[in-house]
Amino acid sequence: MTRALSWILSLTALASLVLLVGVFTWQSSVIWQRDGIAYVTGHSWFYRQQQFGAFSLLYGSIVVSSMALLLAGPLGLGAALFIAEYLPQKTRLVLKSLIELLAGIPSVVYGLLGILLLRGWVYETFERFEPLSGDTLLTAGILLAIMLLPTVVSLSEDALRAVPASQRRAARALGLTRAETIWSVCLPQARRGITSAFLLALGRSLGETVAIFLVVGRQDNNVPHSWLSPAPLLQAGQTLTSKLGGAETNIAYGDPLHWSAIMGLGLILLILTGAATLLGTVRRERNA
Amino acid sequence: MRKAKDLLLGTLLGACLLATLAIVGGLVFAIVHRGWPAISVSFFTEQIRLVGADGGIFWNLIGTGILLVTALLASAPCAVSLALLERVWLRSPQLRRLLRLALYTINGLPSIVFGIFGFIVFVQWCGWGKSWLAGGLVLAMSMLPTVTIVLLERIAAIPTRYVEAAAALGLNRTQIVWAVLMRQSWGGLISGSLLGLARAAGETAPIMFTATIFAGATFPRAVVESPVLTLSYHIFILAQDSFAPAVGTKLWGAALVLLGLVFSFTLAALPARLRQHEESNV
Amino acid sequence: MSEVPPILQIQKLEVRTHARLLLRNITLSIFEGEIFGLIGPSGAGKSTLLRSLNRLNDLLPGLYVKGDVLLRGQSVYARDTDVNSIRTRIGMLFQQPVIFPTTIRENVLFGAKRVLALGKVEQTVRVESALRESSLWDEVKDRLQQPASALSVGQQQRLCLARALAVQPEVLLMDEPTSALDPRSTAAIEELLLRLKTRHTIVIVTHNITQARRVTNSLAFVAIQDGAGEILEHGATKALLSAPKNPILADYLTHSS
Repeated sequence: MTRALSWILSLTALASLVLLVGVFTWQSSVIWQRDGIAYVTGHSWFYRQQQFGAFSLLYGSIVVSSMALLLAGPLGLGAALFIAEYLPQKTRLVLKSLIELLAGIPSVVYGLLGILLLRGWVYETFERFEPLSGDTLLTAGILLAIMLLPTVVSLSEDALRAVPASQRRAARALGLTRAETIWSVCLPQARRGITSAFLLALGRSLGETVAIFLVVGRQDNNVPHSWLSPAPLLQAGQTLTSKLGGAETNIAYGDPLHWSAIMGLGLILLILTGAATLLGTVRRERNA
Repeated sequence: MRKAKDLLLGTLLGACLLATLAIVGGLVFAIVHRGWPAISVSFFTEQIRLVGADGGIFWNLIGTGILLVTALLASAPCAVSLALLERVWLRSPQLRRLLRLALYTINGLPSIVFGIFGFIVFVQWCGWGKSWLAGGLVLAMSMLPTVTIVLLERIAAIPTRYVEAAAALGLNRTQIVWAVLMRQSWGGLISGSLLGLARAAGETAPIMFTATIFAGATFPRAVVESPVLTLSYHIFILAQDSFAPAVGTKLWGAALVLLGLVFSFTLAALPARLRQHEESNV
Repeated sequence: MSEVPPILQIQKLEVRTHARLLLRNITLSIFEGEIFGLIGPSGAGKSTLLRSLNRLNDLLPGLYVKGDVLLRGQSVYARDTDVNSIRTRIGMLFQQPVIFPTTIRENVLFGAKRVLALGKVEQTVRVESALRESSLWDEVKDRLQQPASALSVGQQQRLCLARALAVQPEVLLMDEPTSALDPRSTAAIEELLLRLKTRHTIVIVTHNITQARRVTNSLAFVAIQDGAGEILEHGATKALLSAPKNPILADYLTHSS
């Protein structure tokens, strides 16, 4: 009885996951059949003209996420190192709990903070680049970095904790300084765990919707003409998630082609976040 | 030279921690500071008036509560089942690993994906329209891995000698499940659920297409076309045009309440987590 | 006879946690070139005492040390003492061999490379001399670039010894270095200790009276008295083991042989 029930419920849960992936694949098939790979590489998205090129959305997602990781990664790792390697057990537990608490701040609250505080700051700070408003890819990147910080700290700290204390003790007994121990023992041995932490954070940042939605400007078709200039970062843009969270999702339902283009974005998002999370999880397994 | 490097690195890392705490702590402070003036009894007991500029968030709290209770009721049995499947019923280590990987991967899937999935399945195919049940079920899906993983770890931490002792008395596996495993790990179900609820309470993306509207809903009396108001969607909508100062304070107030709700769930789960943390350090 | 000043002088050392006293009034002199043994029942604080000598206890928060240890007359616990250089001068071997996840060669050089800033040629020379000193050279000379984790536990312990020797310490601390080893590896280490004695000073914690008799010159007996570890008797190994004066020591010796 117990056994049968738990099999049934488990299979229902797992079936709904399979259904989820299936629905996104199946419902996006129209656009894949029509455009093929051009759907991913195409630069223009004008749904009234039935043009669906997802490239600018992919670009937005990747730019915003990499900016966030570039900012949050080093800072978060530094903080994690300090917590794991310098602080006594009690302080460590208190800080760790605090950081995990902060990691739970809802994204809509971050979005609100982004709108009311960060947007104006970006506009003023980067005034000489003449942004049209404070709603830019950069704003979204910075906001996302702040959001990711607690997660990066917490996961990196876990990775560092997985390095046995005996290894540190042996290094210190040889007369190595704390810094030398960090460089030669802790970081190399926690490498897997740390990259895993960054991959999991990447998955999260690619999938983050509401906070980005509120500050990214939601401007379609923003693809930079020159890859090296910082200017495109100070323009409004669009990410996969901000598109999916927008009004177009409601409009598109009923028009098979438009809808399948929207679902295609969902499928791309599923694949990207799924891959980052899966890789991160497998690496973390090996670290433990 | 070596000493100087040691000092430099320590200072640098300490600065990283301080900066992190200052940034995130500063944000919390900003919300408390701005939201506190809005908090009053009537803020909790009145409904929205004047597009959020006046009144309170009564129905938003009720709506959020309805979604959370639904999500909890739908996810808890599934979480127990999945955890038992991984710990007890599945014998092959490969399958168990696959199940764990699946759980962790689902945990990392974006909530907007669940939202759109719910939109297709519940709102369109089932014809429910925006409904509290659709939202609750979608939230259940998004919190399920969290609950399961916490419960799973808790069951895994039960020393095998208890299972062996029970088996030596002649208990069969189902009896062992109830007498040993579940009895010793229900705390894991509770703390897992609390963490899942903390996450679900703040979610906006999964419910904006499936369950929630900005104004005009009260207590749902059916399933079809029965949306609710929620805190997170309230903030989401008002944040987009929050230039009236009167709305501003109310908005920060709502954000403070949401933050308080999320933090209380996380804090309630904290003692159990710390205990497990210390056990695993021994 | 003892006109030569001791290399290590433990002066009224006291170690306590917040709640209780672990070691009380420890005073000992350890002379250059001897193997000094610490024996006593488990839980008496032998390891804590050993770790106080190179201030490894600093890494455990919540331990407070009073009194001092002098290394060739220099205070180990003084405010302006560089702890890391003290630890370089006082090497240490643990109960379980601690191998870094890298090659055999890198393990030997792990401390020496960083602490002594050796050049390329010196590194190679140092690897060979350290491995020879720990009698491991012949077994590993053809596979220095292979992972150290492939070695047996006994070999790993000797590798740890080589790693400690490579920084050329003046004193070596050993915390039951053979307790994780089989009898053959234990015999190899004991033989090694007797050879090292000519050039090094060794302080060793051991549970094993036979081992203490075989390798040490002097002994101190640490046991709990009034709730804290104390040295109840110390002196030359032979005299102490054959004619113990302290009744607790006599009792301990009868029960553990």
